[in-house]
Amino acid sequence: MIELYHWEPNMFSLKPLIALHEKGVPFTSRYTDFGALEQYALPVALTGRMEVEHNPERDGPILVVDGTPMTESFFITLYLDDAYPEKPLRGPDAENRWRVLMWARFINEVLEPAVSTLGSRKFLSPLLQSRNRRDIEKTIERMPTKEQRDGWTAALAGSYSDDLVEDSRRKIGLAVKKFEDALAKGPWLAGQNYSLADINAFSILRPVQYLASDLLESASRTKDWLARIESRPAVKAALAASKTGKPHEAFTPGPEHSRWG
Amino acid sequence: MLTLYHWEPNANSGKPMLALKEKGVDFQSHYLDLLNFDQHKPDYLKINPNGTIPALVHDELMLTESTAIMEYVNDAFPGPKLMPDDPVERQRARWWMRFFDQYFGPSLSMIGWSVFVGPSVRQKDPEELKAAIERIPLKERRIAWSKAIYNTFSPEELEESRRRVGVGIACLEKALSERPWIAGETYSLGDINGFNLGYALPLAQPQACNDEKTPHILKWLRAIYRRPATQETWKMGRTQMASRVTYLSQ
Repeated sequence: MIELYHWEPNMFSLKPLIALHEKGVPFTSRYTDFGALEQYALPVALTGRMEVEHNPERDGPILVVDGTPMTESFFITLYLDDAYPEKPLRGPDAENRWRVLMWARFINEVLEPAVSTLGSRKFLSPLLQSRNRRDIEKTIERMPTKEQRDGWTAALAGSYSDDLVEDSRRKIGLAVKKFEDALAKGPWLAGQNYSLADINAFSILRPVQYLASDLLESASRTKDWLARIESRPAVKAALAASKTGKPHEAFTPGPEHSRWG
Repeated sequence: MLTLYHWEPNANSGKPMLALKEKGVDFQSHYLDLLNFDQHKPDYLKINPNGTIPALVHDELMLTESTAIMEYVNDAFPGPKLMPDDPVERQRARWWMRFFDQYFGPSLSMIGWSVFVGPSVRQKDPEELKAAIERIPLKERRIAWSKAIYNTFSPEELEESRRRVGVGIACLEKALSERPWIAGETYSLGDINGFNLGYALPLAQPQACNDEKTPHILKWLRAIYRRPATQETWKMGRTQMASRVTYLSQ
């Protein structure tokens, strides 16, 4: 049996939930409130592993297969596509599989940090500030990496500069343009078939409708594509994992912006 | 038709070079001198408008991003498998490639650009350099090149990169003390990726990476160095940068 530790069906947690439902793979859901920092209180057999400590998403879903924890939400979906080859979510050829990887690199380097910044500023900071400050600070002190401590310290303080917000909006605009261009050539991002590239991009772009809807205003193809994915039965099933009824408000600090500018 | 546009067997260029050699795939090699800005010249921009290297042209298809190119090479051509059969190990190979590409690598290359690439190109005519920067198509690459050329990395940025290189070395040593290859029992694209990033670590970071402190990294580097494909790939280098690798024969 495989277990998935995840939070609300949004951003990183949403990707494996959709992939599992699309493939019809049975799994045990371990709902973990990332906003309440429950992921830092999981058994050390999980949290002590390098792949979890140095998670490039800082906080994200963990798939556990026979005691081995895996992190990085897109690579988890690739794992699922490798391990459960029925109903493939890539292909049929090497070119299409390469395109899925190219999208993943762009999404994790450009779109994810940008959406995480806007989402943390709007939803995570107020949430943390409504809670006991000392308790949160104590948890932050015990986080394994500097990247995690820095991300949560910024969220607790709500310290997001105007430059960072503006740069995040620029990056989201860049991504939307890329989606529009790709969707002018075919129905789905990587080609003729619905694929992991669509699941990946959808999971990150979905909350932008609540954070910066003006950036989507004239992107008619992207809006149509979001609606097509939203209506899929597997996506509805994944979104039904929400306990708050507002999954689009569930944010963590997310991956860092590229340090090279 | 298969043509690889690349620089020295080092970092990003070396990854698809070594993957193609391991796979035993014949390809046309097209060398571009990164320090002479060949990758931003009109002839190459006709092939890859972003002006990044490496790029692999397979018939009508132009592929970029070194790690994705390696996966394509492994996927599209017959030959030895360069990813493990076990999907759990495959996932781990990919996790490490992201760690190399987006955490360890950029920190190491920031130091490399500040001590090597910057000083190498600063010997050129300042006006020529200015024009060269203006020709770079991607904004991110323009910023990176300007920082290297005018040495505007801040001390804090460089210190943070050094800290991250220390973290990277510690993680790599720990992983290789638990298993022979980065993903597990099988030599994979993860090792090819890591070797291109790390083959010179013991030369660049002798205090942190050496036979006493990181024996598993050294053993791993030497094992990859001995592979025939590695020997052939590093012979394709044209500068002293590539010949450094021979220290691993000791």
